Amino acid sequence: MTGVAATKRPKAGDIWSDRAFRAVALVAGLLVLIILGLIAYTTTSKAWPAFREQGFSFVTSDRWNPNVGQFGALAFIFGTLVSSAIAIAFAVPLSLGIALFITELASKRLRMFVTYVIDLLAAIPSVVYGFWALAVFTTPAKTLYTHLADTLGKLPLLSRLFGGPASGASFMTAGVILAVMIIPIITSLAREVLLTVAQDDKNAAWAMGATRWEMLRVAVFPRVRSGLVGAVMLGLGRAMGETIAVALVIGNSPQITSHLFRTGDSMASVIAHNFPEATGVPRAALIGMGVVLFAITIVVNITARFITRRTARAMGAAR
Amino acid sequence: MTASLSNRRARRAAAIFFLLALLAAACGSSSSGSSDNTLNGSGSTFQKTFDEVAIAAFKQKSPGVTVNYAGGGSGKGKTDLQSKTVDFAGTDSLIKDEEKAGYQGGAVLYFPTVSAPITVSYKVAGLDKLQLSAESLAKIFSGDAKKWNDAAIADDNPGVNLPSTDIVIVHRADASGTTSNFTKYLVSAAGSAWTLGSGDTVTWPADSQAGQGNAGVAQIIGQTDGAIGYVDFSDAVAANLTFASIKNSAGNYTEPTLESAQAAVESATIADDLTYSPLNTSGAGAYPLTAPTWIIVYAKQTNKVKGQALKDFLTFVLNDGQALAKDADYAKLPDSLKEKANAQLSKLEIPA
Amino acid sequence: MSIASPPAPPTASDPNPASSILERALSPRRRVVNNLATAWMMASLLVALVPLAVIVAYVISKGAGVINGDFLIKDLPIITQFAGGGIKPAIVGTVVITGLAALLSIPLGVLAAVYLNEYGRDKPVANVIRFMAGVMTGVPSIVMGLFVATIWVSSGLHRGYSGLAGSLALGALMLPIVIRSSEEMLKLVPDDLRDASDALGARRWRTVLSVALPAALPGIVSGAMLAVARAAGETAPLLFTIGITRSTNANPFRGTNTALSQEIWFNAQTPFAAAKDRAWGEALTLIVIVFVCTVIARLVSSRFAMARR
Repeated sequence: MTGVAATKRPKAGDIWSDRAFRAVALVAGLLVLIILGLIAYTTTSKAWPAFREQGFSFVTSDRWNPNVGQFGALAFIFGTLVSSAIAIAFAVPLSLGIALFITELASKRLRMFVTYVIDLLAAIPSVVYGFWALAVFTTPAKTLYTHLADTLGKLPLLSRLFGGPASGASFMTAGVILAVMIIPIITSLAREVLLTVAQDDKNAAWAMGATRWEMLRVAVFPRVRSGLVGAVMLGLGRAMGETIAVALVIGNSPQITSHLFRTGDSMASVIAHNFPEATGVPRAALIGMGVVLFAITIVVNITARFITRRTARAMGAAR
Repeated sequence: MTASLSNRRARRAAAIFFLLALLAAACGSSSSGSSDNTLNGSGSTFQKTFDEVAIAAFKQKSPGVTVNYAGGGSGKGKTDLQSKTVDFAGTDSLIKDEEKAGYQGGAVLYFPTVSAPITVSYKVAGLDKLQLSAESLAKIFSGDAKKWNDAAIADDNPGVNLPSTDIVIVHRADASGTTSNFTKYLVSAAGSAWTLGSGDTVTWPADSQAGQGNAGVAQIIGQTDGAIGYVDFSDAVAANLTFASIKNSAGNYTEPTLESAQAAVESATIADDLTYSPLNTSGAGAYPLTAPTWIIVYAKQTNKVKGQALKDFLTFVLNDGQALAKDADYAKLPDSLKEKANAQLSKLEIPA
Repeated sequence: MSIASPPAPPTASDPNPASSILERALSPRRRVVNNLATAWMMASLLVALVPLAVIVAYVISKGAGVINGDFLIKDLPIITQFAGGGIKPAIVGTVVITGLAALLSIPLGVLAAVYLNEYGRDKPVANVIRFMAGVMTGVPSIVMGLFVATIWVSSGLHRGYSGLAGSLALGALMLPIVIRSSEEMLKLVPDDLRDASDALGARRWRTVLSVALPAALPGIVSGAMLAVARAAGETAPLLFTIGITRSTNANPFRGTNTALSQEIWFNAQTPFAAAKDRAWGEALTLIVIVFVCTVIARLVSSRFAMARR
C-alpha cells in the first residue's frame, strides 16, 4: 500500500458518493420517525369515528358494548394498569436482587451463567408462557387463591384485595405471568445502572468497615435511584403492552374491582380477541383502544428515558 | 485495492436494489394474494368442524382445488367477504340491512349447509343430568342466580341434589353468531327474565369468563368446576362435556341431539332467500336452541376458474357432503331445504 | 449515623479485644441485616430460576413425546380436533416470515445506526432519531400489528393477508432493536481505526464499510440474532396480518400463511387433546429455534466482539 505521504486527491465522484451514502443512511434513520408518525396518524384517523361518537367518555366510561354503540374503555385501561402493577410488585424486588447478585456476589463464571439464564427467560415467547399458564397453572391457581381468599381475604383491609370469589384466570394470574416476563428486562437494565457506580465510591464505604448491605445503602443506592426508577418504568411499559400471555389468562371479562383474584380484561387482550372480526364503528373503537395503549406506553417510555438520561449524564460527570 | 473497493460498492448497491426490487415485486403482486384454484373462506366457528371435514373430503374428490377455512367468527367472515378478502364466508347470523351496501361484490346468496344444537354445557361434580327452562337460563346467564342450588334451577330439577357451588358463566370473548343465536333465543323465550338483549356481543355480568371461539368456551368449561356456558354440539361432544336438556315451547325438556335439531329445522319457516330461524320452534321434539348456519357467497362471480371451483365446492357440500354431517356431529338439511339450496346454485353467475 | 464504631479499649476482664476490628464492631443487628440482604439476592435468583426450569421442563416433556420425523414434515391436519399430520406449514411460516422481516429490518437498521454513530453523532436530528428509536422499542407489538393491518392488509393498500404483511409488522418491531444494538457496537470501535483509515485517504463511507462495520460486525450480528429471536416468538402482530393456512406456503408474497406462535395461540384455546399435544410440540420447536438464536448471539458476542470498557 502507498505510504501516508502519498494521499490521493479526492475525485469529484468520491465526494458525491460520500454524500449519497450519508443521505441513504440518514433516510434509514428517518424511517424510525416516519414509521412512528405513520402509526400515530393512521391509527388515530381510523379510530376517529369511534372517538367522535364517544367523545372523552371513551376513557372515562366503563360501558363497553360495541353492539349498541357503547365504547367506554375504562375497564380495559384498569385491567392493563392493575395487571401491570401486580407484575411490577413481584418483579422489582426479584430483579433488583438478581441484579445485585450479578454485580456484587457472583464470581465471573457465575455471572455468565446467571446472564444466560436471564437471557433464556427473556427468550421464551409470550405465547408459550400463556399456553403453559392456561394449561397448567390456572387450575391449581384457583385452589391456591381460594385458600388465600379464605385466610388473607377475611382480614379487614386485605379482604378488599383478596376476597373471593377466586378465579384461576384473573388479574393476579396475569400479573404473576407478566412478572416472570419482565424480570429479564428490569434485571439487565438495573445491572447496567448498578455498574455505573464508580468502584472508588464503593471502596470508600468498604474502607470504613461497612457491611455489603451498608455499602449498597450508602454508596450505591443514592446514586442509582433515578436509573432504577427508569428501569422499572421501562419494565412497566413492557408489561402494559404485553398481549398474548395476558389474553390467555386474565379471564376476558372486563370489570373494575379491587379484588385481584377476579376476572378482568386488558386493552391488548380485547383487541387480540376481537379485532379480526370487527367491522365499522366497533372496529374503529378497537383501533381507538390501540391508540390509547400506544399513547400510555409512549408516555411511560419517554418519562423513563428522561429519568434515566439524567442519571447517565450525572454518572458521566462523576466518572 | 481500488478494484476490490468498487466491488464492495457494487455489491452494496446491488443489495439495496435487490431489496427495493423485492418490495416492488411485492407491491406488484395480486391484491388478494391467492391463486385461482385456492378458495379462501372465513367466518363462523360453529360450522368450522363440518367445513373442515367437507374440505378434507372435497380435496380427495378434486385434488386440484385447495380450500382454506379460517374460522374467526361470523363477524369476521362477513367483514372479509365485504372487502372480498375471502371467496366465501360462514355465518350463523344474517347480514343486517344497513350493512348490505358494504358488500363490494353486490348481492349475496345464502346457502344453508347444516344445523346443529347449541348445547348448554356445564361442569359440576356429581351432577350428571340437568334440566333447564328458558327462565332459569336467563337467570343463570344474567348473573341473578349465583349458586347451583338456586331456586329456579331447583324448580326445573325436582328431587335432584344440587350443590352450593358458585356458578361460573362462560361466554365468548369474540363477537359470535353463536352468541347471537343464544341470546336471541333468550329474548324470545325468557321474556322479562332476560335483560341483556341480543347480538354478536352482549355485556355479560362481571366475574364471568370468556373464551375464544366455541372451542375456547369448551376448554374453559372443561377445566373449571361450576362452569356453565353455550357451546356448539360438535365441539362439546369432542370435548366430552355434559349438556343440559332445555324446555322447548311445547313444554318438553329436550336433549340436544341431531334428531331434535333436525326436528327444529323441519318446523321452521323457510324464506325465499333460504334464511330461516329454528330457534324456539313449535315442534314437539324440537330442540329450542338449534342454530342455523349458512355459507354466503356473491351471486356474481368475477373469476371463471374460482367461480367454477366455488360452485363445485358448494355442490359437494350440499350433496355428498351431507352424508358427512352426522359423523361430524351436525344435522344434515331436511330434504325439502336441500332441494331448494341445490336449486339456488343456478343463481351463481360464472363468467364464460 | 455511623457505620462502624471504634474498637473497644482493653479492660481488666477482657485484655484482648477482638482480633479483627470488624468482628468486634459488627453488632448482631448489622450482621443479621447484611445476611438477610445476601439471602434476598440469592433467593431472587432461585425464585427466577423456578419458572424457567418448570416451563422448559414441561414443554420438553410434553413436546418431545409428540415430535417425530412425521411431525416436522407433514402438513397440518385440516380438522383441528384430530391427531396426525405435522406442523411443517407452521415451521416454514415462522422461518420465512421472520427471515423476510430480518432481511427488511437488519440492513436498514444497520444503515440507520451508521448514520447515528458515524455522521449524525450529536446533531439534533441524530439525537431525535436516537431518542425515538429507543421509544419505538417500547411500542407494543400488537400496535405494530394494528398499524400494518390498517394500512396494508384490510384497508389502505388492501393487499389482504400474506406472509409479507406479517414480515412488515415484525420488521417494524425489529428495526429499533437493531438500530440501538448496532449503534452500541459501532460506538465501541475505537476512533483510532477510523483515523488511520482517514489518514490513508479513504472517504468516510469507505471507512465505514471497510473498517468500522467489519470491526463491529460480531456485535451487530449478535444484536440482530436477538432481534430475530424476539420476532420469531411474536404472535399478536401476525394475528391481524397473515391469515391462516393448513398447507405449506413458502411464498410470503402470495397467499395466507401461518406460524408456530399463531398455531400455539389457536391450539391453546381448544379443549381437544390432539390440538393441545400439537401445541406442546409447536412450543418445543419454537423454543428450540429461539434458544438457538439467543445462544448463538451470546456466543458470537462473547467470542468475537470488542470488549466493553
